Amino acid sequence: MAKIAIIGYHEVPTQINPERTRWDIMEEVVTGAIRNAGISKDDIQGVVNVAPQAQPDLISQTAFGLIPEHFGLKNVKDNVICNAGGASTTNCVRMAEQWITSGMAEVVLVPHITVQSDIAPEDLITFFAKAPMHQEWEFPFGMTFNGAMALITERYMHETNSTEEDMASITHALRDWASRDPLSLFFNKGKSTEDVMNARMISTPLKSVECNMLADGGGCLVIASEEYAKKHCAKPVWKLGHGSDFLGGTPVIREDIFWREGYRKSCGEALAQANLTVDDIDIHEIYGAYPFTQASYLEANGICEPGEGARYHAAGHTKLGGKTPCTTMGDATGRGHTGSGVSMAFYCQVARQLRGEAGANQVEGAEKVMMVTSGGSGMNTLATIWGN
Amino acid sequence: MTEMKRPLPEVSPESKPFWDAVQEDKLLIQHCNSCDTNIFYPRRLCPECWSKDISWIEAKGTGTIYSITTTYLGTTSEFTKELPIHVAYIELDEGGVRMASNIIGEGAETAKIGDRVEVDFVKANGDFKLPLFQLIKS
Ligand SMILES: [Zn+2]
Repeated sequence: MAKIAIIGYHEVPTQINPERTRWDIMEEVVTGAIRNAGISKDDIQGVVNVAPQAQPDLISQTAFGLIPEHFGLKNVKDNVICNAGGASTTNCVRMAEQWITSGMAEVVLVPHITVQSDIAPEDLITFFAKAPMHQEWEFPFGMTFNGAMALITERYMHETNSTEEDMASITHALRDWASRDPLSLFFNKGKSTEDVMNARMISTPLKSVECNMLADGGGCLVIASEEYAKKHCAKPVWKLGHGSDFLGGTPVIREDIFWREGYRKSCGEALAQANLTVDDIDIHEIYGAYPFTQASYLEANGICEPGEGARYHAAGHTKLGGKTPCTTMGDATGRGHTGSGVSMAFYCQVARQLRGEAGANQVEGAEKVMMVTSGGSGMNTLATIWGN
Repeated sequence: MTEMKRPLPEVSPESKPFWDAVQEDKLLIQHCNSCDTNIFYPRRLCPECWSKDISWIEAKGTGTIYSITTTYLGTTSEFTKELPIHVAYIELDEGGVRMASNIIGEGAETAKIGDRVEVDFVKANGDFKLPLFQLIKS
């Protein structure tokens, strides 16, 4: 199978800053990614935009072609947006891959921009309470996104005998990565396990710092064919494998409640396609947005015993210098939640790690990264493996 | 209890029998006659076998808490007066049905996974009732 590579990326810091407009961010990330790739804007032959959440105007603008027009991308053959919630970037990269391997394009631009801080807080709460929850069967009972994930976490702790402290250690680890990352909303703001346990309760057992702070951000990838990447890029980041699993739309009736089966199937598929085993993976980047996902991913992949995921984090194995570095971009909990853009931030981080550009969070000698993204309230688990 | 001003479900044609029954203090679930599966939430066709030979059966209204959370913050404004609110996943005794609801009444604040519950039909906004659950006293 023909390969594709990330040949350029650019990302703005995650902030809560309504002064920075959507098209300010768009200009920075699109020009930044194309310059980072070292190519001309007229080399871009397709645009696949990650649909933002709760921003209907930006959805219309990008769906109907304003990105290639705005940037004068003269050789673009087609433009599309893709909405799969937080998993959208994976789907956009897959669309780019299809355009490339079918011969339609050699180089495809994948941007994402979101500004949530200029939306009224009540409107945002309503959006995130309704959009990923079932409006008829969950929302009338006071279900929120945090509440749904709290219910899963409570059940996870019950079944695995994980303590509040075990769970808090996961957020400590994510915030530890974030504390060294100037792109994070929580740069220089680490949290000890005790800090996490003492934070304000939102939905038992989840404290405020274990939930997500909505923020603004943006990033952009340049995806290219194997031939083009080899010719034009000194440090291409190669896609080596892909696996997918769909778990269900509504949390309350989902059978795979901890997403373990989803992780097992999608990561297994990706590893098989890449002809690798889990021991070959140097970094695991897990976009689950809530701490239990960091635990169940490890269990699903046999990195620890079933039920031991939280305690594996508590033992410090997933931090910088640990034997299994996990989620070096801090996940949404440690980064700030930019809607569908969290997955974009994950892809940029994968490129940084594999090019040796991850600064204070660089995992030395990283050659293979497995990343998993999820959309909605955990409707799917999409695993991809990348190598340098 | 504080008077509730809940956002109400937008009732669809396929779910109307469920909500009509709730107003008469009955909890109905769908049952597929072709593959003998209980279905929740209500649909036009069975998600297992696509049969449309679906009947409504009255549930006993008893079940077990599968998980529970107490929410202090972050709901939409309609719930603010009720906070903290106990949101739970309930597994009905009929099997194959897990539904979201609230635990109310005596002991709700200490309710936990595995506790036995029974349905209570509560006026949630004007005269419209929602199926909520109370702990069964042992
Ligand atoms: Zn059936």
